[in-house]
Parts: sequence; structure tokens; C-alpha cells
Amino acid sequence: MMARSTSPSPETTPPSVRFVQLGEVAFRVNTRVLSMIGVALVVLVALGAWALTLGSFRLSLQAVIDALTGAHAGDARFIVRDLRLPRVLTASFVGAALAMSGAIFQGLVRNPLVSPDIIGVNAGASFAAVFWIVTGQPSPLLPLIAFAGAVTTTAAIYLLSWRGNIAGPRLILVGIGVNAILTALTTGLVVRANIYEASRALHWTTGSVYAATWGDVRVMVVVLAVLAPVGVGLMWALRVIQVGDTTARSVGLPLERTRLALILVGCALSAGAVAVAGPIGFVALMVPHIARMIAGPMSGGVFIVTGVLGALLVLGADMVGQHALPVSVPVGVVTGAVGAPYFLFLLYRANTRV
Amino acid sequence: MTRLHADEITLSYGGPQAVIRDLTLKVPDGAVTAIIGPNGCGKSTLLRALGRLMAPQRGAVLLDGHTIHRQSTKEVARQLGLLPQQPTAPDAITVEELVRRGRYPHQSILQPLSREDRAAVERALEITGMTDLRRHPVDELSGGQRQRAWIAMALAQETPLLLLDEPTTYLDIAHQQEILSLLRRLNRTEGRTIVLVLHDVNAAAQVSDHVVAMRDGAIVAEGPPERVVTPEMMETVFGIACDIVYVPETDRLVSVPRSSAALTAEPLPTPPIGRLRCDRLCCGYGQRCIVDQARLTIPAGRVTAIVGPNASGKSTLLRTFARLLKPMSGTALLDDRSVVTWSHRKFAQRVALLSQDAAVPDGVTVEDLVAVGRYPYQRWYRQWSHDDQQAVDEALAATGVEHLRWKPVDAISGGQRQRVWLAMALAQQTKVLLLDEPTTFLDIAHQVEMLDLVWNLNRREGRTIVMVMHDLSQACRYADHIVVMKDGQIVTTGTPAAVLTPALVRDVFGVESSVVDDPMTGRPLIIPEQAVTADAAVAERGGPPAAAAQRSMEWTEQSA
Repeated sequence: MMARSTSPSPETTPPSVRFVQLGEVAFRVNTRVLSMIGVALVVLVALGAWALTLGSFRLSLQAVIDALTGAHAGDARFIVRDLRLPRVLTASFVGAALAMSGAIFQGLVRNPLVSPDIIGVNAGASFAAVFWIVTGQPSPLLPLIAFAGAVTTTAAIYLLSWRGNIAGPRLILVGIGVNAILTALTTGLVVRANIYEASRALHWTTGSVYAATWGDVRVMVVVLAVLAPVGVGLMWALRVIQVGDTTARSVGLPLERTRLALILVGCALSAGAVAVAGPIGFVALMVPHIARMIAGPMSGGVFIVTGVLGALLVLGADMVGQHALPVSVPVGVVTGAVGAPYFLFLLYRANTRV
Repeated sequence: MTRLHADEITLSYGGPQAVIRDLTLKVPDGAVTAIIGPNGCGKSTLLRALGRLMAPQRGAVLLDGHTIHRQSTKEVARQLGLLPQQPTAPDAITVEELVRRGRYPHQSILQPLSREDRAAVERALEITGMTDLRRHPVDELSGGQRQRAWIAMALAQETPLLLLDEPTTYLDIAHQQEILSLLRRLNRTEGRTIVLVLHDVNAAAQVSDHVVAMRDGAIVAEGPPERVVTPEMMETVFGIACDIVYVPETDRLVSVPRSSAALTAEPLPTPPIGRLRCDRLCCGYGQRCIVDQARLTIPAGRVTAIVGPNASGKSTLLRTFARLLKPMSGTALLDDRSVVTWSHRKFAQRVALLSQDAAVPDGVTVEDLVAVGRYPYQRWYRQWSHDDQQAVDEALAATGVEHLRWKPVDAISGGQRQRVWLAMALAQQTKVLLLDEPTTFLDIAHQVEMLDLVWNLNRREGRTIVMVMHDLSQACRYADHIVVMKDGQIVTTGTPAAVLTPALVRDVFGVESSVVDDPMTGRPLIIPEQAVTADAAVAERGGPPAAAAQRSMEWTEQSA
């Protein structure tokens, strides 16, 4: 029950595909998608620059540029370099990682209603993190614990779904079951905790980037630098999986190996983002759809578009949460408020087509 | 007198393009009416409208002179039963429970099963021969039994009008004949009015009194089968030239489509690679062994057809050769090496499979899909090459879908889609091509087109072709070598003329058949007749018995 996206791809004219070859390395690039990536990146940089000027201490664009290039010492430099820039970068990278993770999971199980927050990956991270908080453990280790929680949960889901092979519907159902258990346990921990820890835990599970540091940025740079290229490479195989298991195997795709690789990459992207910013909801679910609608069926290029759009969305949502509302709210609240109605819309559309 | 009447109806699925425009059809009472036509001509849509599942945009469907959509569902359901194509049963429901649901229109809320209901269920089970299987879960039945269970449910509804959408798809020839003679009997002994959508023209001619031929959402011709099923009409309706062959044994006329391939061409010399063989092979799903101790050599560079009744293990054997299933014991060999020891890539460069269960990803273009067939030649760092481009171009040209290259696959018709799947398998450039029922879902013109394509691939390029086939006369015509299977065993192998005899067809399929000369090749063609088990006397052509006629009158009076 794939919801049909209204792909704008022209029907009779060839898409703008170019063949690129450098020695042994050869591939086809869709120049339309390429230009889309370019445009989205420009918009992202512009939005980021704007975000750096906003705040209780307003700066001009020139002041921001001076602060970044180091031409200017003093308050502005501290505010931009140590407070605002880490936050902007973290929001962008977290958004990119979550969106890419969603694209991988949706393609993997051929179901547009799936994302790491629905099949329990993020719930695993939340449970581990909340456990860590309410038991009063040292907070510098918190991201590591959240990451471990997500990975452990994914491993459990994978093993519980395994019946000689991995079937999409089974993976989803197992994931939803695991998600329910972990959510219940997390809630249990929160209500039993004292008020200070409960509030911290609750804040963490909403997802926010408000206290982002350069350490967070470094984590996200590593996560994206390693996993995003692998993800782009795997899109080549994912495209084959989309045509059905039988066909994928008959064209010689090592199906279970590829699926495991995709699950690992999708899980690690999501786990990294959640470890840094907490489980920001709906980005992973929503952004791949938007990317497919504007850029066409999933491919390496569209995967990158998905990442940049995810960055745009989380950065934009954080700016709204921080500056546009009378009181500042965590970014997870804003993405949820936009995401939930979109999710309902998707469900509605999928229903009408059955 | 016509009880069911479509009066200038226009139907569409919400789009600007109407599927059916200003169509008028009077369904003759007490007769079997067959609606035939090419894929996408609107025959199923028409049936859905007649069955009140779809409201026409303009015009009306009248039941006894009243607009059907103004009557309550229950009221209509007492007069008219509809069996959709491939209905799905709830999990674990038994045959009897399913049949009981047919009584719904006669019951009210909280009312227990009345004696009348019980009697109707019993009768429906008996007529369809499902009495012994009543406690069986529906999802564990074979295709033919399942279809009979659904027909039993429609019968329990005890409606004078019965509409069925392709009741014989997925069934082997014996079950097809069985269902057709059952429907015929229902009409003859009980005077029920039956409307069928069928894609097999010969089955339509065999079973019906009245044939309605449709094309592009309009009725092109209607009347008795001998007047409608003519070479000229076949050409107008399906766009394919046909020969009409007389079968003296049963006094029937059968249309045999003409092929545009050179069917008498001799095969190329036997190529050195592309040999498939199995020895004492057992394979199946899970723990269940379906194919048992099979020993078989498939000749390289020839067309081989695997035929047999439903659930005889044809597809299982094919899927084991395609190494989608692991052998439980014994060996399956490709060029003297066990299929499981080949590397994924090397194997996919030598064997391609056209399966039935491929998914169509959203918005993917035809070229992108065909390019998937190039996967075994690609690496993640070398995702495209000039060879890839050339192979894709050739595959698109060979299957005649070049003009669709940039169209999204979900926007093309079923016949075109099947050719695109074939193009994908061709782009794999393999010596061996395995096809699992490549013509299901296709109308007769597209079937011939598909098989001609496959034939040419063999005769021009010497590829080894193995097809699981449904239709015996097509197998006779296109195969060099036939493999007959039953109950997981290979019954016999050989050339069509030597293997496919009426005696073998009776033993293996449980169906009588007659042999006629193929007007194109002069080789024998097998034409299935009614099932051996069916009561021949009631299936005979003739007017409805007096009792049935009277019953039909009573129904008319009751509803008037």
C-alpha cells in the first residue's frame, strides 16, 4: 500500500541524466536532482546565517560574518562561535541524519508509514537515556548510553523478526510491539522519579538542541561523514529491493546482507541524532515523502536531497521554537505539531486508495 | 423480459476519462451471459456496476425496472449475488462459516440461523461438492477448492441472478472446466441467470448462451457465441487474427489466435552453456517437501514448457532452478555446477527469472526499471557503463517498449508492464531465461505477443527458455520440450506431439480433451473439454427444464 507520490517527472521527455566516468568509477547523475541539492544547500546556508543573527542579542549579518572570520573579537564572537553556531550546526546535522534514516527504513520495508520513531529505535534510545537520568548517573555519558540503547533495540527487533529471512510487515509489527513496551517502561520510570529528574528526563525525550556544544557537532560530523556516503552507495541496492524480494534475488542481490547493512546504517544515523538531540519526532517520517514529491523516486541524489531538507526542517523548526513563539519551546514540540497532522493526512490518503 | 438492465450508463473512477460511456445492456433472463474483451476494456467495471458496487455517473442500472442504487443493499442482495475477482477470506474461517455468510441478506440482526438458512447452506455445499471440506479453513484449500467455496457462498445467497468476475483465473484446466460446468448446471437445472466476465474466449463460447464483446468501454457486439466469436469479431475486439477450428468430437468451434512468429523455424545448434539439470531433487517451502525426487534434464538452447495441475510443484521446481529456494536434498545443476555454489553475481549473469510477484515502485520510469536487470554487472563505484546503456536499449527495442522509456511504470497498461518485466530480464543478458506463467493477467492478443517474443529470443539468440505454462494448446505450439508434473512428481517428458495425448491429459489433469491440427504449424493442439467428473447430461446444451423455468417465473412474480 504504497501511497503514490505525485512525482513531477516528465512523461515523454528524457530526464536530465548525464553519464559521468572517471576511470573505473562511473555513474549516472540526474542534473535536475543535482541542481535541487544545490538550491536546497544555498537555502540552508542562508537560513543558518539568519539564525546566527537572531536572539536576545541581535547582530547584523556583517557582525556575524566578522565574528566567524575572526575579524572581530569580543561578545559577538563568543555569542556566534560558542553559543549560536553549535546550535545551528547541530540542528542541521541532526535533521539530516534523521531524514536519511527515515528514507532508508521506508525503502527497506516498502512502506511509507515507517520511520525509526515508529518501529522502536528511538524508543530504545529514550528508555536508556531516561533510565540513566532517573538513576542519577553522570550526564556526560548520556549520549553514549542513548546510542547504545538505540542499537541494542534495533538488534533485538532484527533478531525477533528473523525467520530465515526478514519480511517487511513482520519487522514493522515487531518494531511497533517493542516500541510499545519501551514507551510504557519509559513512562513508568518518569512517574516514579523525583520531580527534578522527571522534568529533566521529560525534557530530554521531547528532543531539543538548545544546549548544543561543539562536542555535539563533532559527533554529528563523524556520524554523517561515515554514514551518509554509505547510505548514498546503498541506495543503488535499495532501488533493486523496491522491485520486490524475488526480483532482487534473481538479479543477484545478496538480499539479507544488503538488508542488514541498510538496517545498520539507518539505525546508526538515527541513534547518532537521538544521542545528541533526543528523539525529535516526525522528521524521519515526513521528510522522505517531501523529498520524493519534489525530486522523484529515491536514488542516491534524492537521498542527499532528503538529508538537506531534513536539515532545513529541523533548523527552521528550532528557529520557530526559539524565536517566533511567545515562550521558547524545544524543537521536538514544533516538529511534532507539524508532523502529526501530516501523518494523519498520509494515513487518510493511504486509506482512500485501498 | 429483462430483470437486469444497464440503461445508458457512464462509469469512471473519479478521473476525467470515463471507463464506460453510455453503455446499454439487457441481461437475458435464464441464460448464461459472458462478457469478453481485451485488458482494460471495462468489463469488470461493468460487472461491478451491475452488482451495485459502483454508481454510474449518468444513466442507471435497473433491477426489475427500479434503479438498483435506490434500493437497500439487503434487498438487492436477495436478488443478486456477486463474486468479485480474487476475493480474500478472513483468516482461519472455515468453508461452512464462509458459506453461511452468504445468508446474510436473508437474516436480521441477532436472529439465529433458521432452518431455511441451514438448508440453503447444505445445498450450496452439496452442489459445489464441498460438503466433505466444510470444516476446513479456507486459506488451506487449493485454488480450485477455494474458488468453489466462494461460489458456494454466492449460491447460499440463493439469488436468481449471479454475477462472477473471472471465476476461472488461477485455476488449472480441470478446475476451469469443473467451474464452468458447475455454472452451466446451475443455469440449466435451476434456471439462474448468470453473468460472467471471462478472458478466455473459448471458455466463453463453451459456457454461454449470450456473448457480450467489449472494447474501449463500449459493447462492440453481442449475441449467441457462434455469431459473436468469429475471426472478424476477434480481430475487431482483440486486434488479433484468429483461425476458427472445428472440433468434431464435441461439435464445438474453437478460435486459435495466429502468431506472427515463424513457428516452424528450427532451433539453433545446441549452445555449450545454459544447461539445467536436477537429480533426485526434493524442494519446497519450510519443512514441506513439494517436489519429490525429481530427475530432469532441460535441453540447452530449446524452449521447455512445464505443465501440470495446480499445486503440482511446477513453480517450486522453477524457483529452485532460479535458486530462490534451497534444495532439501538432491541437486539442481547449472552447467554441471550446483546452483547454490554459484556466486550471486555470476549466477544472475547466466540465469534470469520473470516472476509473477514483482512490485512496482512509485514513479519509477520504464528505463530505470529495466536498468535494474543490469545489477549483476554493476558495482557500487561503477553504477553505469556503456555496456549497460546498450543492453537496456536492446532490451527495450526487443520487447517493443522503446516509446515508453520515460513513462512511469505505474502509468502503463498491464500488457505493456509485462513486456517491461521481460525487458528487465533481457537486460540481464543471460543464457537461460525462466518464466513463471508469463501470460497470466494478459488478454489473448498480449499472450500471443508475449510468447512470440520469447520464441524469437530462442530461435534468434539460442537462449534456453523454461516456462511454467497454464494453457496446453499454447504449450503445444511454442515448446520444443514438455515436462509434465503432477503431485510433485515428473510424470513424463518429451516433444509435445509425443507427450500430450488425450489419455495423458485425462490421467494428469482429469479432463477430457480433443486434438485438432494447429492451422499454423500443422502440429496437434490440445483443446480441453468438460471435466471427467462433471455430469455430462446436465452440462449438455439445451433449454432449461420445465421446473427451472417455472421457478424462474415464480421469482419474477415475487419480485414484481
